[in-house]
Amino acid sequence: MAVVEIRVANHPYLTDPAGEEVLYEIKHALGIDAVQKVRTAKVYRFEGIDESAARLLAEKLLAEAVFQDYTINAPIIKDAPVVVEVAYKPGVMNPEAASLMKAARDLGIEGLVAADSSREYGFYGQDINSQHIDVILERLLVNATVERVVTEKPATLLISGRPGQTEIIPLRGMSDAELMELSRDRLFLNLEEMKTIQQYFRNIGRDPTDCEIETLAQTWSEHCGHKTFKARLLVEGRVKEPLLKRLQEATFAANHPLVLSAFVDNSGVMEFYDGWAICGKVETHNSPSAIEPYGGAMTGSGGVFRDVMGTGQGARVIASTDMFCFAPPDTPREEIPPGCLSPHYLLRRVVAGVRDYGNRMGIPTNNGSVHFHRDFRAKPSVIVGAYGMLPVERCRKGQPRPGDLAVVIGGRTGRDGIHGATFSSGEMTHRTTEVNASAVQIGHPIEEKRVADAILAASEAGLVRAITDCGAGGFSSALGEMGEKTGVRVWLERAPLKYQGLRPWEIWLSESQERMIIAVSPGNLERLLEICRGLNVEATVLAEFTSDRRLVVTYENEIVCDLDMEFLHHGLPKRVLPARWQQPALKEPQLPIPDALEDIYCRVMSHLNVCSKEPIVRMYDHGVQGSCSLAPYGGVEQDGPNDAVVLTPLLGSPAAVIISHGLNPVLNQIDPYYGSLWAATEAVSNAVAVGANPGELVLIDNFIWPFPDEESLGALDRAVDACVDFVRATGMPFISGKDSLSSTYRGKDGEVIKIPPVLCVSVFGRLPDVKRTISSDFKGTGNLIVLVGQRNLSEMAGSVYYDLYGYLGKNLPRIDLKTVTRVWKGIFRAIQEGKILACHDISEGGLAAALAEMCFGGGVGAELNVPAGERPDYFLFNETSGCFLLEMSPRENPGKVLAGLPHVVLGQTRDNPVIEIKQEGHHLCRIALSTLKRSWKEPMERIFGTPGEAREVG
Amino acid sequence: MKKPRVCILRTDGTNCDRETAYAFERAGGEPHLVHVNQLRAGEKKLTEYQILVIPGGFSYGDDVHSGKILAVELTSFLKEQLQEFVDRGKPVLGICNGFQVLVRTGLLPAARIGDIKTTLMHNNSGRFECRWVYLRVENTSCIFTRGLAGRLLHFQAAHGEGKFYTDSQNLSKIEEGRQVVFRYATSNGEPATVYPDNPNGSLNAIAGICDPSGRVLGLMPHPERFVDLVQHPNWRRQQFREPHGLPIFRNAVTFAQEM
Ligand SMILES: [Mg+2]
Repeated sequence: MAVVEIRVANHPYLTDPAGEEVLYEIKHALGIDAVQKVRTAKVYRFEGIDESAARLLAEKLLAEAVFQDYTINAPIIKDAPVVVEVAYKPGVMNPEAASLMKAARDLGIEGLVAADSSREYGFYGQDINSQHIDVILERLLVNATVERVVTEKPATLLISGRPGQTEIIPLRGMSDAELMELSRDRLFLNLEEMKTIQQYFRNIGRDPTDCEIETLAQTWSEHCGHKTFKARLLVEGRVKEPLLKRLQEATFAANHPLVLSAFVDNSGVMEFYDGWAICGKVETHNSPSAIEPYGGAMTGSGGVFRDVMGTGQGARVIASTDMFCFAPPDTPREEIPPGCLSPHYLLRRVVAGVRDYGNRMGIPTNNGSVHFHRDFRAKPSVIVGAYGMLPVERCRKGQPRPGDLAVVIGGRTGRDGIHGATFSSGEMTHRTTEVNASAVQIGHPIEEKRVADAILAASEAGLVRAITDCGAGGFSSALGEMGEKTGVRVWLERAPLKYQGLRPWEIWLSESQERMIIAVSPGNLERLLEICRGLNVEATVLAEFTSDRRLVVTYENEIVCDLDMEFLHHGLPKRVLPARWQQPALKEPQLPIPDALEDIYCRVMSHLNVCSKEPIVRMYDHGVQGSCSLAPYGGVEQDGPNDAVVLTPLLGSPAAVIISHGLNPVLNQIDPYYGSLWAATEAVSNAVAVGANPGELVLIDNFIWPFPDEESLGALDRAVDACVDFVRATGMPFISGKDSLSSTYRGKDGEVIKIPPVLCVSVFGRLPDVKRTISSDFKGTGNLIVLVGQRNLSEMAGSVYYDLYGYLGKNLPRIDLKTVTRVWKGIFRAIQEGKILACHDISEGGLAAALAEMCFGGGVGAELNVPAGERPDYFLFNETSGCFLLEMSPRENPGKVLAGLPHVVLGQTRDNPVIEIKQEGHHLCRIALSTLKRSWKEPMERIFGTPGEAREVG
Repeated sequence: MKKPRVCILRTDGTNCDRETAYAFERAGGEPHLVHVNQLRAGEKKLTEYQILVIPGGFSYGDDVHSGKILAVELTSFLKEQLQEFVDRGKPVLGICNGFQVLVRTGLLPAARIGDIKTTLMHNNSGRFECRWVYLRVENTSCIFTRGLAGRLLHFQAAHGEGKFYTDSQNLSKIEEGRQVVFRYATSNGEPATVYPDNPNGSLNAIAGICDPSGRVLGLMPHPERFVDLVQHPNWRRQQFREPHGLPIFRNAVTFAQEM
């Protein structure tokens, strides 16, 4: 059947924002001046219809005559010297295709069998050469993992293929070398694990199928099996309990009364009010994001939302968070290792992915941060969190019963993400992009929104016995885990496919997104299917839970997998791993005390780890659901940053959820113990700064670590010790967590890049009355500015201030948990009593950055006195977390309100928009707020510059 | 007085339905979430409702054009019901994606399903943006803004395709017919000509328009996100007599009750 092409473009005299955005990137990110203009067009292709039907589609659907033109089977950009079309590769699902099919059907068009869309770019400028175009395509417009340049009209849009066969792997007779060859690039298992599998099949007297081998490799992958976290450690001759066990035991010992579910479900659950519970989960999506940042970030968001949707008997997602670590965006091209993408591109595309998934699903993204360090240049860290709301009576993990049916709902299964779980567990090498191209895909948030709606309806109707998402490992992981205690019988040929040609093991392992499994009793099946039909959600009975504790998978009556659940889940050899942390050889710099502070103040504010991230936040819908009652940015010009988000998810009720987080990778390079204490302290301080009750907060851990060799594992051991000590000292439990231990890059030439270890601690909690929360913007003039908390000013290592001089330092902040716990309680009480007008915690950039941000929010200046005898630079730029700046009315007595807490009144807010800092009457600094603000805003505005910004309307 | 029944029409990708329902509850209405499939199947009929709202979101992913696929679906299957609803003078409100849908059915500005006379293009910035903006309420016969003419309201805008555009002939028709209900404004109340006060590059700073009768209203920013004081980003530092979005929903409810 012939393919008809329709091209649509804006009238030439109108703006083309997509083209201008590309032009902006070409000029600013690539530095190519030869391109003077870029125009874009959409290309639609339809198979099975004639030209008159195409004309109808063009006029009724694709082109709006008010502002657009169209052509049929003819070019539309005719005057540009170079025109290039970029499309998804065949097999990469284009989310728009289904809408095109639907709308054509709605318009009564018959015979259509396939549809697709892509984009065409026309480049204008006399001096453009083919090298320019190559660079633009390679670095800006085409991600070769999922996209391609279209050079000729395709003959068909259909992907054909015959179902593949199941292979028997002659495992029993393999030598050690052959076992490892099989494992490499595909299974990522070590020799001991391969031999354990070999022995299992020798015992049962047959060779495995490819499906069985793949199932075992997925279940035993680091990503799914958390082998390192479950291994005992050998530290300096002493055997220590597994990391996971230590964290879980600390939580258990804390025995927090509000915890309803910890470490057992897809997310951790705590009690809220009025019969409701709130849950939270934070995930990483580093490896896919490193090779296809847009798709990787999208599927990362989609995955963590499904974790929340699949908690208890189904939850409603109420918030999303995002924390990223990248190399500085201006890192020179030659310093980026082969096979890795530029951080400028990564940052922009990851942000776009998070934006498009969350916004389209209608989930507010209102807490997050971005951190920069050179050693993220090979492997960025992409962390996404999600929070949800569910009734207490349906908040505990469900257990399918024998005879229950497993229904897969949502998206269809394709070849997407094959080997995602094992891939995430392997180290990234220069081979990674070539071998694992199938490990990423494009997310489809609308599919997931439909699924979310169906789950809520099914859950409210009491139809859900158990639910889980298809994440890493696909059906294999979801059904293998759900059926662990019962056994499960799977009919694989029933799985709805995106296209034919998949082998059974590929269907089984595929990580196609937007799929969930619901366990339902047979009597409830019809009602579940009806709900799904009503919401345009595809639902298919895929399996039945049995009572034989076996995982049996057939494909058209052929057995492709028959494994003992016991071996699958408990056959993995337990490891004892050596770990040894050695204090790095670091020195403390001797810095002169600067004469003038204005310049250094500006440089601190414009440091990438301090500067405003507002351009990113503006692209996220943080107000959808109507629940946001403390936005990421507030104050007179809505650019003053707040420390945490406050939500009122039960509209009309004052009950509030508070969410925040903390991380500081660079400190972990100095000492992961104190770096981790800092992260946890910062996370909680952010929540306390807006009014959270420290007694009603719970924690989530995310460890993103270099590959766990002896040294990195030693660092991890210290980080976990810090977490455990933190739980003991504060009583706040970790109730969910995740580890990703593969952030090491190995290049062809032996180059090894380890990321600075990341511990991201996320915090969430509850408060009965949103009215008793506060923001960071100064509320008036003549008010007192008070510093609360304990700092040792010589602990400057890892600070932005040191970094500006090129130093890391040795003496890092060592948080005293006893004091900080008292400070949190005191601040909470003072906020409850209404004594605090504004509060901001101290983190990167120190007291000076916190002060400036409070001034920005309030649109007021400040006058500050550095206490006599203190080094002014250290006083202003020390980054000890757990310290706060408060604004209080002069009518209050800080000594009384903050009795028993370390505090000092530093100065007052002023009408004049200037920050003035003195010490014993001497001027140290006098700087206009506007100057500081410019420095603080400039870095991200440069990266995310708005092309249309300066333009007048028209 | 009896609470008017409000149809909040949803479909794949609708995501502002719950808070829009809440806004109508606060305003004294009786909101019902109705899926377009239920109308197509005849399980529910528009005649059962006094007010129709198409809320915000990304209907069908905003594929092709924002709101387009839903507009095609409505005009293909529910044309008569919808036109009858409008012809009877019952209030119709489209917020954000709902505004885009109304424009793409032709119900705005002409109150007639058919020709598309105006459009909402991609923002000049080329991207989705979320920020609070000032809207000046124009003096019109729009029933949703009774008593609000001249006021400066503060609402959150959150969209990627909100640039109001039409040809000069239609523009003057809309202006002369007093169909411009809301204009993006500076904090002084002047029509906003530059970013970010005018967040998307809309012609004549147009943020919302109504049909000639004033009973069909569409706007890009989100009044339903400001019906409680604590929804405003600066409720801790600013005083409000009442949340700015509430009177819009209350006017609709009152009008429906008096019909
Ligand atoms: Mg903070």
